[in-house]
Amino acid sequence: MAGVRLAGREPGDSLPGPDRQSYRPVRAIGLLLVLEVVCIVALGAYEFSRVDWRQVVSAWVVPSREVVEVGALILFVPAVVLTLLAALGFLLLRRRGWLLAAISQGAVVGVCLWLYVEYRPVYVYPIMAYAVLMILYLNVHDVRAVFYPGNRKGGPRGPRRLT
Amino acid sequence: MSAAPSDEALLRRFEPVLRCTKGDRFFPMDVESYVRACSLWVQRPGEEPMRVVPGGKLTLETLPQQPLDGSGAVHFLRFTDPQNLPEGEARGVGALRERALRGLRETREVFRAGRGRLARVGYVSRFVDALYSITLLARGRVPGEAAGMAAVAYRRAMEEREGYAYHGRVARQEGWTVLQYWLFYPFNDWRSGFFGANDHEADWEKVHVYLAETEGGEPRPEWVAYASHNYTGDNLRRRWDDPEVEKVGEHPVVYVAAGSHASYYAPGEYLTELDLPLPRPVARFFRGARGFWRERLGQYAGGDAGDAAPFHIPFVDYARGDGLVIGEGGDRAWGPPRVISEPAPTWVSGYRGLWGLYARDPFEGEDAPAGPMYNRDKTVGRAWYDPVGWAGLDKVPTPAEAAAAALGRRGDLETRREELRAEIGEKSNRLKELGAEAAAVRGRSHLDARGRETRRRIAELSEEVRKLRARLAADEAVSGSLAEYAGRMESGERDPARAHISRAHRPASETELRFSRVAEAWAAVSVSLILVIFVAIAIFEQGHLISLLVVSIAFFAFAEAGFRGRLVNLVGSVNIGLAAVASLILLYEFFWELVVAAVLVVSLYVLWDNLRELRR
Repeated sequence: MAGVRLAGREPGDSLPGPDRQSYRPVRAIGLLLVLEVVCIVALGAYEFSRVDWRQVVSAWVVPSREVVEVGALILFVPAVVLTLLAALGFLLLRRRGWLLAAISQGAVVGVCLWLYVEYRPVYVYPIMAYAVLMILYLNVHDVRAVFYPGNRKGGPRGPRRLT
Repeated sequence: MSAAPSDEALLRRFEPVLRCTKGDRFFPMDVESYVRACSLWVQRPGEEPMRVVPGGKLTLETLPQQPLDGSGAVHFLRFTDPQNLPEGEARGVGALRERALRGLRETREVFRAGRGRLARVGYVSRFVDALYSITLLARGRVPGEAAGMAAVAYRRAMEEREGYAYHGRVARQEGWTVLQYWLFYPFNDWRSGFFGANDHEADWEKVHVYLAETEGGEPRPEWVAYASHNYTGDNLRRRWDDPEVEKVGEHPVVYVAAGSHASYYAPGEYLTELDLPLPRPVARFFRGARGFWRERLGQYAGGDAGDAAPFHIPFVDYARGDGLVIGEGGDRAWGPPRVISEPAPTWVSGYRGLWGLYARDPFEGEDAPAGPMYNRDKTVGRAWYDPVGWAGLDKVPTPAEAAAAALGRRGDLETRREELRAEIGEKSNRLKELGAEAAAVRGRSHLDARGRETRRRIAELSEEVRKLRARLAADEAVSGSLAEYAGRMESGERDPARAHISRAHRPASETELRFSRVAEAWAAVSVSLILVIFVAIAIFEQGHLISLLVVSIAFFAFAEAGFRGRLVNLVGSVNIGLAAVASLILLYEFFWELVVAAVLVVSLYVLWDNLRELRR
């Protein structure tokens, strides 16, 4: 039960207000991030399995463009690790999950954009599309409000002309 | 019923207590000695300013004469005219500058600025702030030595006869008795003394106390309003029983900001932002885009919806209340007030010029203000002719009138409801008649045109009747509320004291001021540093210009966000930027596929929706 699990946390770290309704998008994002990790790992495994690495290593020649493209998948490792941590954060209802998830999705899109400019591998498009949707979902006002309820400028503004 | 107290007695009974800030050098004084120390000048269009009355020759009686008046002429006083210095005083530029520096040192010795104003706002604001400071070189401004000279002149006047005075006016408007306390300061040294926006000779500030009569005819304070820069309306005033309004007996306490003399209800440091508005079409575009992003897409957009001006220059008003206290129970007592009775004396109504140096500043911040009655453009100021509306009190009935006002409005609504009922009855009958006509002509080919016209009129009339019924229903609800409200007012209940305040100006909290020394140092140097680095990249690394610029901007952005605790916002903004670029790429690469996918999704949705209906 969410309320019980939150009880032992440090103040300020867990989500405020044990409102069961507000956990739904949080868990949903957690699951979507896990799904993203699984997809990227599966895609990576598939791409790596298509290359005969023994031949590449023994040939002692500059690898082909396809091999470089597959090798470039390594660049996603940090982003995938961050995404996994963020997913765990969401599933454990940690406040830091949002920032980690945002950084990880930014990193994923950043890597995709770089790969697009350099090599245009086919696998970059689905990953890019998924990460864009995740960014938009993470930025939905209601989702942000769950994690940063006080993050609204409400202070007074000063006068417009000073005399 | 007791005898009505005189205006002066009323003014003295509720006169404010001013708590100034340590380091402030100018305090409210009587205008007579100020005017006597000034020379009168006139600036006619296309001409150099001309002194028309030398210092020492001017009196409150001769002030309104305004010689050499003409179209476009601006009359102004000069308090810090070097020619006004008495014989024997050093008048050279070096001597004046030395005196100004000495005065500034004295101020800085007792005044310590709070945690950096620049650390509280972002790069853009700091950059605009730097530009604003640079424009002072080109704009008209009060000379650097003016504050020092004014301090000397003020000190001399105080040595001759120390006195603290206000100018009081009692205005009666719409059931309210308004006690206007006009406070005259000889100089505003906010910029030169306290890192503020401007300096100017002369400063008129005001505090209003609004009285209403009790059933016994006794005046009772209900509201107060303190002038603070150009704030007007509801946010300016507080109810007398509001805990924020500090009082010494029956005297409201005013915290006076150092240099600017803006008045506040609570002690503290107030971040005041000067908005620099965008051109109207650009602002409209940004507002529309922001609204679409926030409302239609449900995305987080940060800040307030109405926060239209993207550039703000930060200034801090230090209203600490740790300096001289003037008034009841304070360090100094008020002298006899100069009462401005009706008709207004000629120095108020006849002199439309400025009360200090006319610096010809296009932003007007460095120009002296006009007197209590006028604006700088010689029009009559609202605080003079409508002191009730100035504080947003024109819509508020006095406590004695509240129940009657509610019942009066209810009576109006009752009359309107009767009229509405009659109109609805008449139009409903007409609607039925038209309905009968439409039924009668249905199926008759030679009356098709007439049938169409009748149906159109039915639709129009039906909509009209619907709107009238909706209005009647709303009026009924409002009428009930008014009756209940009148009952509450009659039983002595009052509205919440702060219900009218939408955006109260509040001092910065401890949390908001919790900037580390590193953050302050960063705020002070970062704008210059980033410009130097940009120039260095442009000169020495032209081959990697774009990439190095991106890297350096990213570095500065993240450093800034880290110092100011805005990392979350920065990450969100960067992500949105990346997502926008990625979306454009996807759209470019897969345009037709996306169109096909969208059509498929729509068709599947329609199919699912229809099937769901079939299953019911």
